[in-house]
Order: sequence, then structure tokens, then C-alpha cells
Amino acid sequence: MSQPSSIQRRFPWHILFFLAPGLLIYVTFSVYPLLDTLWLGLFQEDETGQRFFAGISNYKTLLLDAAWSEPFWNALWNNTKFFLIHMLVQNPIGLFLAALLSSPRLRLSNTYRTLIFMPTMLSVVIIGFVWQLLLSPIWGISEGFLYSIGLGQYFDAWLGKESSALITLALISVWQFVGIPMMLIYAAMLSIPDDLIDASVVDGSSAWQTFWHVKLPLILPTIGMVSILTFVANFNAFELIYAVKGALAGPNFSTDIMGTLFYRTFFGFQLQSGSITMGAAVATLMFLIILVGVMLYLFVVQRRMKRFQL
Amino acid sequence: MADVKLSNIKKSYGDTPVLHGIDLDIKHGEFVVLVGASGCGKSTLLRLIAGLEDISSGELHIGDQQVNALAPAQRGIAMVFQSYALYPHMTVFKNMSYGLKIAGKGKDFIDAKVREAARILHIDHLLERLPRELSGGQRQRVAIGRAIVRDPNVFLFDEPLSNLDAALRVKTRVEIGKLHKELGATIIYVTHDQVEAMTLGDKIVVMNQGRVEQCGSPLELYQHPATRFVGGFIGSPKMNFIDGKVAALGGDHIEIQLSNGCRSRACVEAGDLKVGDPVTLGVRPEHIDERSDAGTMLSGDVTLVERLGEASFIYLTLSDGTEIVVRGSGESTVTTSEHIKVSFAPHNAHVFDSNDRALRRLKAGNVHSTAELAQLKAVGQEAF
Ligand SMILES: Nc1ncnc2c1ncn2[C@@H]1O[C@H](COP(=O)(O)OP(=O)(O)O)[C@@H](O)[C@H]1O
Ligand SMILES: [Mg+2]
Repeated sequence: MSQPSSIQRRFPWHILFFLAPGLLIYVTFSVYPLLDTLWLGLFQEDETGQRFFAGISNYKTLLLDAAWSEPFWNALWNNTKFFLIHMLVQNPIGLFLAALLSSPRLRLSNTYRTLIFMPTMLSVVIIGFVWQLLLSPIWGISEGFLYSIGLGQYFDAWLGKESSALITLALISVWQFVGIPMMLIYAAMLSIPDDLIDASVVDGSSAWQTFWHVKLPLILPTIGMVSILTFVANFNAFELIYAVKGALAGPNFSTDIMGTLFYRTFFGFQLQSGSITMGAAVATLMFLIILVGVMLYLFVVQRRMKRFQL
Repeated sequence: MADVKLSNIKKSYGDTPVLHGIDLDIKHGEFVVLVGASGCGKSTLLRLIAGLEDISSGELHIGDQQVNALAPAQRGIAMVFQSYALYPHMTVFKNMSYGLKIAGKGKDFIDAKVREAARILHIDHLLERLPRELSGGQRQRVAIGRAIVRDPNVFLFDEPLSNLDAALRVKTRVEIGKLHKELGATIIYVTHDQVEAMTLGDKIVVMNQGRVEQCGSPLELYQHPATRFVGGFIGSPKMNFIDGKVAALGGDHIEIQLSNGCRSRACVEAGDLKVGDPVTLGVRPEHIDERSDAGTMLSGDVTLVERLGEASFIYLTLSDGTEIVVRGSGESTVTTSEHIKVSFAPHNAHVFDSNDRALRRLKAGNVHSTAELAQLKAVGQEAF
């Protein structure tokens, strides 16, 4: 009787051995930098560059000192708008395009798919540059284009106005990335068996009813996943704003989001000098915001959503 | 009430013709089985009747109406799919009520209908479950239930049993047969399994490569296959075919010189056959006797014996290399590589001309009269 128990007590070294390579890489490149950032956010530097432990005072400054908190709340609110525009425009359009693509009557669907996906493969810097050219009131072609179809009076310097710059940038981003939700949802729709659609046709449901009552419930998990991917990508966004508007995210910070705020804080920009520790504090807050969002999704939304075996 | 009539129905996918002109008359209340090898166009034909595919040419009538252009839901049909095609996110109740809900029926009406169908199919206790919580047989019932609640004139089944295990398949087959009697509706049932076809069908339609080979009652197909294809398709193991030439024409029979050198007599109408014409002789394994004196005698080497208990299937290679199967008795003592003699009676022979059309048999079926059976038995006892 003592034999098996002594075997059980022996430490399973081989498991550790096999886990070690992956674990080592993960710890070195993911866990350590993250923990170091969290840790760094708790320090401050004096004029000589000497670091000292300062507890949560960076966070107090960031959230309570008006000089810091105003840009912070502004960036957070802008970022939320940026995200909402993606959710309300990008994902419904992606869903709609996927539904069209999966229609068996559509010809050339592969061509459309590639064309729609094309902008996603381009560099954000190029996209930003191209759209800046297109929309420019000076050399842009959009004004002439709008006039030629009789809508000229609606043209405006959208990228230059405080009221419209963020929305315009968000729509440019939607234009670029709409291929991703489209592809994911399209793949999910293809996995719905044809028989199921036939059955609903025999049951008398119209194309729209079939979509609403049969297809949509079956791709809901994919839409949930697309939403959370959009959330993470939007709260980590930076390149497009930086490429089009620079780190100052003008006009008057109206396009400032968490990424650009972090950039200015960490590296400094023009009159503002960079602070590594303050930057770490902003990065930590970004991390926490995304963490809370993902947690809410995983524990509140996904739990209620069942995956159905098809 | 709802006869189904197909007139010269054709279907092509692009340039590829799949159905080449199907004519079929189905009376109200009939159980019609479409049977044929995989890929011969059975499912396509069923989907045309259902309205899931467009008919390329020809006319389809259900009841008094030409329905070529009608949507499936307006044709008064219901379909049961091979994969069941239950909506995975809906409970059994919702699966069964979906069509009625779409049609805008009242809540009480739907409730009554679904419970009635569930009672008939013995799935009352499963109404709140999701399809994934059901066994294969239960899913099958739900799929049938979903068809029943719509009160269709015509039920369409596409290989409904092929996803079930063997035991359940037999059980469900019997139940579908009973259900047909109970509902009294027309059923068009697709299968590639000839046993299903023989047991269920009032009328069997044998299809081959997009054409109807023959259409008739199960016994008609068994006793009077119109073509060599039907002869080989109906019956298990398959009918044996031996090539030969017409050697002589008698009044109620012809004589055939077989490729293995034997001469055989077959009780068929000669039609316009002439001496010397090539023909194929067909004889079923169950009609070949292990004794050598029942009529035409064949001899060959045993290559394999399959013992099923109630019977033994003896595989023989004749002198010219033709392979045949004999259904011997369960107690048969024949062993592999033995040389044996077997025989069959002239009235059990089928003859197919060079176009694979069958010649009309003159004595088929009569053999089952009791008098003749007794006589056969007596002959058998004498021989031993
Ligand atoms: N959607 C389609 N497009 C092109 N060919 C098809 C299509 N559906 C079926 N076919 C062809 O039609 C033939 C008959 O198919 P089917 O009716 O499914 O056969 P069965 O049900 O008898 O096995 C097959 O050769 C198949 O390849
Ligand atoms: Mg089929």
C-alpha cells in the first residue's frame, strides 16, 4: 500500500521540464515587462534623474490634478467615442457584407472579398496619408467629387474641425479594418450547414427571417468575439491618429486618445518633457481599462452566450 | 386530394444535365420510394419537388396546381433532411413551431399542434430540450414532428435513416411505415438502401443516372425487373449475370448457350430475338439450388463461403471465369476450393437482350403457389 503513495509524492519534474521553454519566453517577454511597468508607475524622478518610490501619487496626479486629469478624461472619452463608432459602423457593415458574400447567388464573391480586405493589408501610415490627401480642402479630390455629384455644399474640412476630426478619423479606421469582422463573420456563416437554411426555407421563412431567426443566433458568439477584438484594438489604437494628426492629436486635442496621450507623456513632445514613470502610470491605466472590459465580456456576456454545435 | 404529377422534369446545373426527363404519377396517400445508387439524382429530384431548386424544364403538379414557380412553403409539402437540420439554438418545441410561427398562426393553435405531433411521436417529454441534448433517434423524431405540424399534403424524406445505427434504423423504419398509415398523407421517400425501399414502398421508383429505370410495386420489381440494372439493384446478394447466345426458340421458352459451355432453358417470351443474338441470363442467388438437378446445371470452384447461420453464400467461379453467388442452406457443408455442381429452374431465369432490356417472363411468381412448392419439395426428397 505504501508503494503507490510514494510514487504519487514524487515531484513530477518532467512536467516542469516540458513547460519550461514556453514559460520562460512568456515570463521574459510578457509577464516581466508588464510587472515592471506596473512597478515603475509607483516611482517618481527628481531633477537629477534619481528615482524614488512615491506610492500612488502618480495616479493621484493623473486623476485629480486638473493639469493632468483634463487631458486624461478627454483622451478616455475620445477613445470611447472612437470605439463606439467602430461598434456602430464597422461591425454592422462587416456583418452586412458577410451576409452578402455568403449568398450563393452572388457572383465574383472572392473578388469582392479580396477587394474589401485590401485596405487592411496596407500600412496605417499609408492609409492616413492617402486619406489626408483625399480630404484636404486644398489639393484633395473629395471637394471636386462632391460638387460633381451635386453635394458640393456639404463639403467641409472634416479633418481640421474640432467637431468632426475624431469622427472622420474613426470612419477612416472603419474603412481600413472593416475586412476583419467581415472575414470572421463570413467564416462563421459558411460553417452553418446548408440543410439548416433549406429547412427554414421549407418552413416558409423569408431570406430576412432566416437571417434573423437562424443565422444571426448561430453567429452571435463570433460577433461577441469581434466586439472584444474591436475593443482591445481601439483602446490600443495610436498609429492612425499619429500619422494624420501627430502626437498633439489636434485640433486642440479633439482627436487625442489613450495611445497618443501615453506617447506624449512617456516620450515628451515639444514643450512637454517626457516622464518614464508618469508614462508607466498611463500605460497601467490603459491596461486596467482593457482588462476590465475583457473581464466584463468574458464573465458577463460570454457566459450567457452558448456555442451551438452545428 | 394531393396527387403529385411530374411531366418530363429536367434539371441541369450549368451545362451538366443531372435529370433527363422524369415522368412520375403519384396518387394521394401513396408511399413512393425513390431508390438508386449514390449520385443518380434522387436528392435533386426531391429538392425540385420541394422547391429548393429551380426546375430547368418540365411541369410539376401538386394537387390541381402547377407549382413550378411556387415557393416551398406554398406547395403544401414538408421535408425531413438526412442531417435532420434541426435549429441548434431552439428547443424542440421551438423547432417544431417555427414554421407555424412564421406563418403567423396563433399561440394556442401552435401549442395544440405541436403537442399533438409530440404525442404521436412520443416526444412529449423532450419539448424543452435543445437538439444537442437528444439522441440520434430522438432528433429524427423531432425532424419528423417538425414536418407533421405543418399538416402537409406531401411528406418528403431524404435518406432519413442513414445517420442511425442498424438496430434503430430497423425500428424507425417500422415506425415510419406505421406513421404513414396513421397520417394517410402522400410520402416521397429517398433512399439508396433497397431493403428500406422494398419494406416501405407501395411503389418503388428505381433511378439510374438521372433517369427512371422502372417504377412499380416491390414484388413487381423483384419478379419482373425491366432492365438489367433493376435486376442487379433489387435483391441481395445481387442477381448473377451470365453471358450467352440464343441457341433455340421454343413456344414458351428459349434456349441459351452460356459462355461456360452449358445450355440453359429460360421461360421468357422471345419477342423479336433470333437464334445467335447475344443475351445475358440473370438468376438470383436464392433461386440457385445446391443440388444439381433443378434444371440448368452449372459447375465451378468455390472461392469463398460466407456463413450467416440461416443461409450460406457460396461464391463460385465458373469454367469461363464468370463469378456467381449461390444462396445455400445454413447447414451447407461446402468448403472453399471444392468443385461443386449447382442448378436453377428455367422459370427462375431472367433474360436481358443486348440493350439490357428484360424479356417478359412467362411463369414468374407462379412458383409460389402451394401446389408447386409441394411438388418441388417432393422432387427434392426424391433426389436425396
Ligand atoms: N448544386 C449542384 N451543383 C452541381 N452539381 C450538382 C449539385 N447538386 C448535385 N449535383 C450533381 O447531381 C448529381 C446527383 O446528385 P444527387 O441528387 O445529390 O444524388 P443522390 O441524392 O442520388 O445521391 C451528382 O452527380 C451531383 O454531383
Ligand atoms: Mg442524396
